Amino acid sequence: MDQLDLTIRIAGENGEGVLTVGDVLAEALARSGLHIYTFKNLPAEIKGGASMTQVRVQDTPVRSPGDALDILMVWNQENYDIHVGEVKPTGVVIYDPDECDADESLALTQIGVPLQTITKTVIKTMKSKNVLAFGILTACLGIPFDSAKQMVSESRWGRRKEFLESNINALKQAYVYVDENGIDLGLRVAVERKNGHAQLIMTGNDALCMGALAAGCRYYAGYPITPASDVMETLAKAMPRVGGVLMQTEDEIAAITASIGASFTGAKVMTATAGPGLSLMVEALGLATMEEIPLVVVDVQRGGPSTGMPTKTEQSDLNLAIHGAHGEAPRIVIAATNTEDCFYTAVKAFNLAEKYQTPVILLSDQHLSQRAQVMSRPDLSEVEIVERKQPELNGSVTPEEFDRYEMTDDYISPMPLPGRHGQHYVATGLEHDEHAHIDYSPEAHIRMTEKRHQKIESAVNEPGFVQRYGAEDAQLGLIGWGSSEGPILEALDRTLAKGYKVAALIFKMLHPLPEKEARAFIESIPVVSVVELNASGQFANYLQGRLAVSLQRFNIITGLPFKAGEIEEYIEGVLQYG
Amino acid sequence: MAEVRTADTAKTTAPERSGQAGQSEPAEPAKPPKPSAKRTLKDYRSEVKPTWCPGCGDFGVLAALQRALAERNLDPRDVVIVSGIGCSGRLPEFVNAYGLHVVHGRALPAAQGVKAANPDLTVIAVGGDGDGFAIGGGHVPHAVRRNQDITYIVMDNQVYGLTKGQPSPSTPTGMQALRRSVSMPKMAPYEGVLEGQLNILAMVIVYGCSFVARTFSSQASEMAKIIGRGLDHPGFGFVHAMSPCPTFYNTYDPWKESFMPLPEDWDTGDRIKAIDMAMEEVGDGVFHSGVFFQDVYRTYTDKLQDVYAKAYGDEQATIDALMDQYA
Repeated sequence: MDQLDLTIRIAGENGEGVLTVGDVLAEALARSGLHIYTFKNLPAEIKGGASMTQVRVQDTPVRSPGDALDILMVWNQENYDIHVGEVKPTGVVIYDPDECDADESLALTQIGVPLQTITKTVIKTMKSKNVLAFGILTACLGIPFDSAKQMVSESRWGRRKEFLESNINALKQAYVYVDENGIDLGLRVAVERKNGHAQLIMTGNDALCMGALAAGCRYYAGYPITPASDVMETLAKAMPRVGGVLMQTEDEIAAITASIGASFTGAKVMTATAGPGLSLMVEALGLATMEEIPLVVVDVQRGGPSTGMPTKTEQSDLNLAIHGAHGEAPRIVIAATNTEDCFYTAVKAFNLAEKYQTPVILLSDQHLSQRAQVMSRPDLSEVEIVERKQPELNGSVTPEEFDRYEMTDDYISPMPLPGRHGQHYVATGLEHDEHAHIDYSPEAHIRMTEKRHQKIESAVNEPGFVQRYGAEDAQLGLIGWGSSEGPILEALDRTLAKGYKVAALIFKMLHPLPEKEARAFIESIPVVSVVELNASGQFANYLQGRLAVSLQRFNIITGLPFKAGEIEEYIEGVLQYG
Repeated sequence: MAEVRTADTAKTTAPERSGQAGQSEPAEPAKPPKPSAKRTLKDYRSEVKPTWCPGCGDFGVLAALQRALAERNLDPRDVVIVSGIGCSGRLPEFVNAYGLHVVHGRALPAAQGVKAANPDLTVIAVGGDGDGFAIGGGHVPHAVRRNQDITYIVMDNQVYGLTKGQPSPSTPTGMQALRRSVSMPKMAPYEGVLEGQLNILAMVIVYGCSFVARTFSSQASEMAKIIGRGLDHPGFGFVHAMSPCPTFYNTYDPWKESFMPLPEDWDTGDRIKAIDMAMEEVGDGVFHSGVFFQDVYRTYTDKLQDVYAKAYGDEQATIDALMDQYA
């Protein structure tokens, strides 16, 4: 194949700097006009334990972390043993012969590079070991020394002048070693500098933050939790630059109730958390539904239940996101699919929250939130922003005459803001009437329940939240949601190319459920399977309950993202053997 | 319909650094009250009649708050009263102003969100001893640490009224409270209340609160004054409003006897003395009324101005500029 597609993994002891090698390599390749997709798998501990980082590089947008490895670099025996089985038959292992013994029986190209010894005896600065490793990789990729030197200078290794010289020296030693030992993998990755301004290198969390700010988010409250803390840290720097407020609260309950308070005054607000935090927030989510207060809650899903696997990925908070609250508290639940989509879905989350005056849960996950990808810089003049419906500023309607929860045609009522509108009212979590007065009568409860439900149900007509791909006359249909879109579509393309009749339906809105599209897809295809990263098939169960249909499932619970190859194998298995 | 615009037309230049996260557009021009039309207590009475039991101390707190608001002639549109759950949590409904009635124990974080998003508002948090110091107790030290200009009025009746009379964190320990309550023996039928009584006032002083006062619902004009001083205080002000529950734990008689003003020469600037007083009065069986401690520290909003000065100087960053770091 002419298309560039390399999957490179670097693995070592956590805290040794392997992750930095991956980060710098990914950024450097992305700045060179290539598309990258990173994947990290690390222990929850700050130091110690085996950790790895992976970069998949293509010249077109990358959709999944990559299957088997083209290049594996390991720094020690433990990591050699863990990862060597994942190398392609045509792949290459670069290992440190002073730190580990290669298994000679394997039919792989294995190249020993004494990273530790060269660093110790030639470079003499242990900190530069990761630059040496980087240089070995760029040299093996066929990237000229001058280009690699520029990459190092522009990276975090070039930021401090006093270290730059020793880092460039480490890089040089890498090229000397590769040259002197005649190492040549036959790779010539073309690195040309393109217009860097149009391309951004972001993680899902970064993109989500920028989308939120573009949508007008000016208040954020949150509590530290892996893997959502990056959102808070990114906004801690960015939010004050646009005149907003970021508050690190004492817990997630404070974070969501403070957000509700801020939204009550008219601010666009967000809080981000992960499963345990979302569990704490559900009571207040019901409050926001009841008081009809716009609010965006980001849930960066991780492995559960309980503390579970904080640094692993899973799509297992769907039940909680849709149903979690006492009473019946409908809300909008949407999911982002990839890094670029995190930006636009964040904007949509705010638009939906403001338009429908409701909490919106935006589902991301560990892998989506922390991997880096290349995306096109958003054109903000094309990004539509929706503002909340408010009363006229004429001051003639008195509070006594004003109905905060007026029954309008679209069930959405103008919301007065303190300090701005004279129609003050009391928002309460108790059942109330149109006038916001407490009312437990059957009539009031029936009317307001209808208002809360119909308002949310009407959001199903919003465009762009469900998309069909693949063959019209498919024999197998895959249903996915959120971040499994990329690997599903990559597997779809591979199997379509092999002649299989397969289609996919990807949901970005989960509640309200786009039933029409779901039913049309399911009824037009003989076998339909729901592909998701959880054990019980949460979306499959939800679809079955809503549509009274029977569905197949493909679930993985390794704590790792889907590989396109896994889904490809599943498709072939179903279509070959039923 | 909701208004639609595009992301590049967002207001990027703040007219002034008010930290007003909520609003980039001007407020409706307030009709300034003519000097002759100064507001009275009645202007803060809502159309909803209080639902409290006859004789409830909360009536006194409500009237005192309304009087304090009237004395300051605050526009009801600029006042937000935030409450949690409990009898006292119903108070916002009875005041002619904005109100935010949230879930149990979370009045303080909600109030902090209101104030952070619009520091120009007068924000008052109200609630009971259970709401504030049992389920919501974890929020108090952090509200104190942030020192936003919020007045927190805790209506302490030493009992859970709305759920019909269980002991609360401020209920006296042992058998003592049971003598005045028909309801508490249900929860503590053998040895009375096993848990110790929380010294709410001392706790708040130790947390580092910049304004700490106590007042009694039966002393209406004194209470209005104390709440008023709380409203005037620039920072987080705590008003311990003792407010008996005649239905489930009737403490009117003993409290009338045990309430006494702080000494005339009381130094409100001495935190250690204030702690001593709050700890010792328990043993003496008295409640002191008045301002125990007051000092002025920089508020959260003040500190945010410094943040903005460093973060953007004269002109706020555009979203495009923020994205440059990822290019």
